[in-house]
Amino acid sequence: MAATRAMEKPDRAQELMQARAPEMELIRQAQAGSRVAFDSLVRQYEQQVLRLALHLTGSESDAEDIYQEAFLKAYRYIGNFRFECSFYTWIYRIVTNLCLDQLRRRKTRREDQAVVVDHSGDEIDILSSVSDERSFSNPARELDRKVLGIRIQEALGKLTPRERTVFELKHYQGLRLRTIGEMLNTTEETAKNTLFRATKKLRSQLAGLRK
Amino acid sequence: MNCELAHERIVMAAYGELPDDETHELDRHLATCTECGQEREQMQALKLLSSAYPVEEPNANLVARSRIRLEEALDALPPTRWFERLLQKLRNNAASLQSAPIAASLLLVIGGGVGSLGGYFVAQNHTARTTPTTSIADVSNKAVDPSEGEVANISSIERQPNSEFVEVRYNTLVPRVVHGSLDDQYIRRLLMLASENASSVGIRGSSVGLLASECRAGHECQPEGIRDVLMVSLRYDRNAGVRQKALEGLQPYVAEDVHVRDAMLEALLSDPDPHIRTEAISILEPVEADTSVRQVLRSVASSDHNPRIRLASREVLSRVPAFQ
Repeated sequence: MAATRAMEKPDRAQELMQARAPEMELIRQAQAGSRVAFDSLVRQYEQQVLRLALHLTGSESDAEDIYQEAFLKAYRYIGNFRFECSFYTWIYRIVTNLCLDQLRRRKTRREDQAVVVDHSGDEIDILSSVSDERSFSNPARELDRKVLGIRIQEALGKLTPRERTVFELKHYQGLRLRTIGEMLNTTEETAKNTLFRATKKLRSQLAGLRK
Repeated sequence: MNCELAHERIVMAAYGELPDDETHELDRHLATCTECGQEREQMQALKLLSSAYPVEEPNANLVARSRIRLEEALDALPPTRWFERLLQKLRNNAASLQSAPIAASLLLVIGGGVGSLGGYFVAQNHTARTTPTTSIADVSNKAVDPSEGEVANISSIERQPNSEFVEVRYNTLVPRVVHGSLDDQYIRRLLMLASENASSVGIRGSSVGLLASECRAGHECQPEGIRDVLMVSLRYDRNAGVRQKALEGLQPYVAEDVHVRDAMLEALLSDPDPHIRTEAISILEPVEADTSVRQVLRSVASSDHNPRIRLASREVLSRVPAFQ
């Protein structure tokens, strides 16, 4: 009976085997053309990729696009992966640079920072999405927190794309400056100076909120 | 330790990037400097405030949607041909053998690869003699009116059920010419596209040069239009001549536009061409009062590998008044 169940779901059994395979073996198999191996790699890193893209761009639609481009690039160029760094660093570098490109292309919407864009491209007014069902908690505080979050996003939006990216990678993703420099194809010193400029700008932007 | 250095180290310490001996030095300075103490509080406040925009896990719908879309795109890719996989494998093997002085293994891999390729070409020639080949170009020449333009790509192929009929959707390239003034918005849009997308360095150079001349002349060089394009060229173009033109076009805006200033600072820190770095120093000199500019100049003065650039940075810094 167990054998029959296994035979009925051969893909599932293969998935389980792939999930246990060491990453290097998965990469080698993907380089050899195994789609199953590549899919396993995608599943291992898709959460991190989306988390970074979503927080950096603030848009589900943009995050989805970046996910697509990043993994397609990874699929296309996985043959060039030489195991000189971890696969995590490699894919993260691709995602970071795609996010940087996206930030450069996008027009900032300074006139209305209360609006974010969902996956279908429709705008959602954050303030109107505060649920009435939460009235049992402190609605004023909830609204304050949301407004503060919007102000933070607004201030982040005023950074240059590179400053925004460095700040994101350091402050929110916790990467070392040296790693950030490698990802952006620059030096640790440059990443440090960029972080310094970003924090200085953010502090002046948010000075009024600390009262 | 002076306060400017302390401010920088406060940021590094806040993110755990400061070595222990420098942390100790910073703590000694903070014990006596009220202003820097406040600076540290502000940095801590920034970290606290930033938590109001937390990193959230993507919801399951987003993950599922993204995965499905990726799978569809991967399914639509043409399968890798056997000789492409073999060539890639040979490249991977060659790379892993690079540090191993096993000439025999390398020769074996290369010999195997050459032999396989030779076999492939023989097979191709045999097939060509026995089967009439139909190239895509032939089919497209027969099926497409030449006046429609060259086929750029195929966007979809659909076969009607139980039928020999197929529907093929494709896009064509149609060459066009337009004449107009540099003030014309359409001409500008084309020039901006050329600066980013042209494969020829000559075309990129011409477009960036024209856009830069408009900016130097003050002809509607908007921050989110031409100025943005010049900054992208300065940061990312592969050709130093193109980057130089972009740099010159941005010069009039370095005082009023902090984004332009940042782009100049990045060029000074990381452009591989020493002429561009030198010119960035002279362009930034009028705004040397900016703390960021002074910091970068200080860094370049000590760490640039070109001695002339180090000297130029020191000279600019020496002209900065002691107190601002």
